[in-house]
Amino acid sequence: MKNLHVVGQSVERPDAYDKVTGGKGYPINVRLPGMLHGKMLRSPYAHARIVAIDASRAEKLPGVKAVLLPRDVPQLKFCPVYFVPVQAPSMVQDFDVMNGDIVRYVGQPVAAVAATSVEIAEAALDLIDVEYEPLAAVFDPEAAMQEGAPQLHADAPRNIAKNPSFEFGDIEKGFAEADHVFEGVYQTQRAHTCYMEPRVCVVDMDRQDNITIHVTTQHIFGTREKLAFALGIPESKVKVVKAPYIGGGFGGKLELTAMEPVAALLSKKTGRPVRIEQTRQEDFITTTRNPIKVYLKTGVKKDGTFTARYAKSVLDCGAHATHGSEVIMVHGAFGVFFSYHAPHQKWEGYTVYTNNMIGGGYRGYGAPQGSFAVESQIDEICAKLGLDPIETRLKNSRKQGEPHPFNPAFTLGSYGLADCLKQGAEKIGWAAARSSPKDAGAKKRGIGLAIHPVWVSGCMGFPDIYEHSGAIIKINRDGTADLATAAMDIGSGQITTLCQIAAEELGLPAGAVRMSSQADTDNVPFDAPTHASRVTYSAGNAVKAAAAAAKKRLFEVAATLMEASPDDLEVSAGRVSVKGAPGRSVSVAEVAQRAESPFVQMTAEGPKPTTMEEKGTIIGLASLSPKSNPPPCAAQFVEVEVDTETGEVKVLRMVYAHDIGRTINPKAAEGQVEGGFQQGMGYALMENIQFDPETGSCLTSDFLDYKLPTAMEMPRQMDSIFIESDEPTGPFGAKSLGECCVITPAPAIANAIYDAIGVRFTTLPITPERILAGLGKL
Amino acid sequence: MALQNLKDFHRPGAVEEVLALLSENDEALVLAGGTFIRGLEARGLLNGLETLVDIRRLGLDTIRVDADGIEAGATATLAKLQRVVAAQNAAWLGGLADALDCPPLQIRNTATLGGCLAASCPFFDIPTALVALDTEITIRGSDGERRLPLPELFFGLFANALEPGELITGLSIPHAAGHSAGAFGKLGAHANVLAIVNVAVQLTVDGGLCSAACVALGGGVADTVVRSPAAEAILTGSKLDPAALAAAGEAVAGDIQPLSDHQASAEYRRAVAKVMTRRTLERAVARLA
Repeated sequence: MKNLHVVGQSVERPDAYDKVTGGKGYPINVRLPGMLHGKMLRSPYAHARIVAIDASRAEKLPGVKAVLLPRDVPQLKFCPVYFVPVQAPSMVQDFDVMNGDIVRYVGQPVAAVAATSVEIAEAALDLIDVEYEPLAAVFDPEAAMQEGAPQLHADAPRNIAKNPSFEFGDIEKGFAEADHVFEGVYQTQRAHTCYMEPRVCVVDMDRQDNITIHVTTQHIFGTREKLAFALGIPESKVKVVKAPYIGGGFGGKLELTAMEPVAALLSKKTGRPVRIEQTRQEDFITTTRNPIKVYLKTGVKKDGTFTARYAKSVLDCGAHATHGSEVIMVHGAFGVFFSYHAPHQKWEGYTVYTNNMIGGGYRGYGAPQGSFAVESQIDEICAKLGLDPIETRLKNSRKQGEPHPFNPAFTLGSYGLADCLKQGAEKIGWAAARSSPKDAGAKKRGIGLAIHPVWVSGCMGFPDIYEHSGAIIKINRDGTADLATAAMDIGSGQITTLCQIAAEELGLPAGAVRMSSQADTDNVPFDAPTHASRVTYSAGNAVKAAAAAAKKRLFEVAATLMEASPDDLEVSAGRVSVKGAPGRSVSVAEVAQRAESPFVQMTAEGPKPTTMEEKGTIIGLASLSPKSNPPPCAAQFVEVEVDTETGEVKVLRMVYAHDIGRTINPKAAEGQVEGGFQQGMGYALMENIQFDPETGSCLTSDFLDYKLPTAMEMPRQMDSIFIESDEPTGPFGAKSLGECCVITPAPAIANAIYDAIGVRFTTLPITPERILAGLGKL
Repeated sequence: MALQNLKDFHRPGAVEEVLALLSENDEALVLAGGTFIRGLEARGLLNGLETLVDIRRLGLDTIRVDADGIEAGATATLAKLQRVVAAQNAAWLGGLADALDCPPLQIRNTATLGGCLAASCPFFDIPTALVALDTEITIRGSDGERRLPLPELFFGLFANALEPGELITGLSIPHAAGHSAGAFGKLGAHANVLAIVNVAVQLTVDGGLCSAACVALGGGVADTVVRSPAAEAILTGSKLDPAALAAAGEAVAGDIQPLSDHQASAEYRRAVAKVMTRRTLERAVARLA
């Protein structure tokens, strides 16, 4: 790789100061004149028929400006997920904004009000009388699949919303060829992303149906498309304002919910902007990571070679399929099927309706659930057969240059899995730690590993999923540049890295490229969502192309100024110079000024004309799809200490090695890895949205009862290793990182616990109580 | 959620005014640090609340230390008591010092001593530590002042023994007699979680034998903080040797009636109460040395 000046530097985040001084760029801080506050009334029943709604008492409460009932809401069925077309055939279209006949989970919106204060709006909800006829409910997906179970949707027999499968080879033959067959059942739980900024929107909708919406979204064009569909109006009527940043998303803000259309309709009804901010409790019952139960069976030769793999995955999607149509596919492919080679494989997936809350997107999108099964079982295989866990993984995984398992048109052009394993093992001292004797006391230490062999950089090649990006770059007269894109910064530093990519391509110093704070769906090109670990790779490639286009124009203008050929020019550190003659140079600022200067300029020597060719703002535009979908991969090592008397687990150390092609910003990348580990560790040990098994109401509705790891629980020693395999199709060699680092913590920790105490846990989270029960002490 | 029906917010400057307001209105709630009230509000449990009486202007936030012990006002924060206890650096206050380290910093800076007792929440840490120290509270009512040994305040789950119109104004922690040390232990899956089990112990030795022992447990081992007479009986008169500590740990199981909730089952609480008691006793014994 040629010398890089800005890419690879830990450039400071331009949004950091703004965020620590109040964060005026967050949608939660938007206030409009005359704004009202909306609140939704939610069903207390998990499954019931709505007999009658009487809102007359609420309407009379002073301060209440409008009440919205199901009859005021277009009764349309659609898929609210942002990254697919609203009626994508691959997705289930069963979502509705406010159903007037039936509720299918505790928390389903049945009415809404707009009032002059939040307090009045809440008080008004208590005055809406809803008569329900309770129906039998089902909360367990396998029970829901039985004949005779309550049916949630008429067109889904046995409550199966989706039933995809993959198969190749002859699975029976594969198991017959095996020396050993391992079987296990692995159950994961419902977890929330716990983004810091709640879901919030401020919507202004006029009588002509023109909408302006400020909203916490990971995809402004997705919000536009789905909101327009939900209201039955043309997309162009909806302007979604791009917030400079949102307070986290992690996949949790990737679909339209009732909030946006309800706020819009309340706004239209009242003629005033309406703001809805969800409480943490509402957020906890709006989207979650789907629980998946995986039945996994693997056939193995004596030497550890896999002969056959079979898996069945049952996903609880709750009352509506939404993301569950796609999560099951990503889970089956990238979580289970593509992880290791085996000549004979079969997978069956079931996305099943229950009267639980709706599932949703969450960083990793089905892969953490698969990885927990696959990486736990390979550890069991190694332990039973006395095989080396690193060698066995390498023996069965893919190698650089092999075809991409998802799309054989792509190859694994850069693939550093072996380096991830090697460097990670060295860093944590794997060999010595595995062979050292266990402590005699109550607290036992153990070390474990898990890998994620194939992940994505965007969705290029997936059916029905949007995957292209756009960018506009304008060079200013002071030698800086403005970048405008629809790619959302959801907290992971997209603004910083995209500006670094632009600065590198334009030959400007770090900090000279600024992300425009004024963008909306009217004035920037389409971009797919900030999801699927795509922004650095996909949006990065578009930004690089826009910068290249601006640079081409920059050289054309500079060439007239310098009386040189554009082909002979280069730019670095903000100066354009002739290749091989660094003395002949002008600053980018001078070139930009010249391009925007008057045709005739007065000089000391008198009037002097400039040329027609050099006129016009220097601007570059790109809107393009990425070339490939190169896989990052990861190897994770952890050391834990298990208290065998109380069941408490402490994670002492973690080493996480990723092949991400190229590190654009090392500090931001480390932040991604440590944050990903934090979420993965919470998933492994504590996080769990719990429901009352009788009523289906949420028992863990805020951070008093739902715990995620804080600085106090995090390991004292964390090392991130980045393998730079230089992806040929990536911007300056980069692939992706965002989701890869949340996939393996749970199996790595489970494997380390096994190493410490010799007990295998197949249900998440591995709580102290489960540990004590596993040790036979309860 | 919000206090949607709140009509009156009083900030009286004298205890008598507070008592008058409380006796006029049975449903009024006293606001001190507000951390517990905020939690109830967030869960929609105070939607009907009409009157709040803020007692932070009464000047009840003082803490005094002398040879008799510690006298603290009801609105002194946990953080303030923590600073006082840290300055004492005394073995007999070891349990309280341990317990004051448990709540998150933000809670310590806001929550008050009176509030954390009046809440009568068995999952809190400070009340367990105060029970082990034989703390007494001072209560004011229209009939005057009365004092109550701490365990008697805890009437049940989130229920206290205050009569209508009464207010906790302060607490006193008597200086432990003789050679005494305390320790406190909390089991929670997380630093910021309510306790699954907590244990506070206070041990006094005389001539190599334990002359007095107090073992208090909280965190959902029962509806309230409880003492374990069985464990105390084993310890008193013993040499506090490992066998005695282990036996005392086993003995607490008979004195508790643990709850099951989303955090842990009763069975798990019973199992770890024994371990936590033994471990906390070991720490107190180490402090006696």
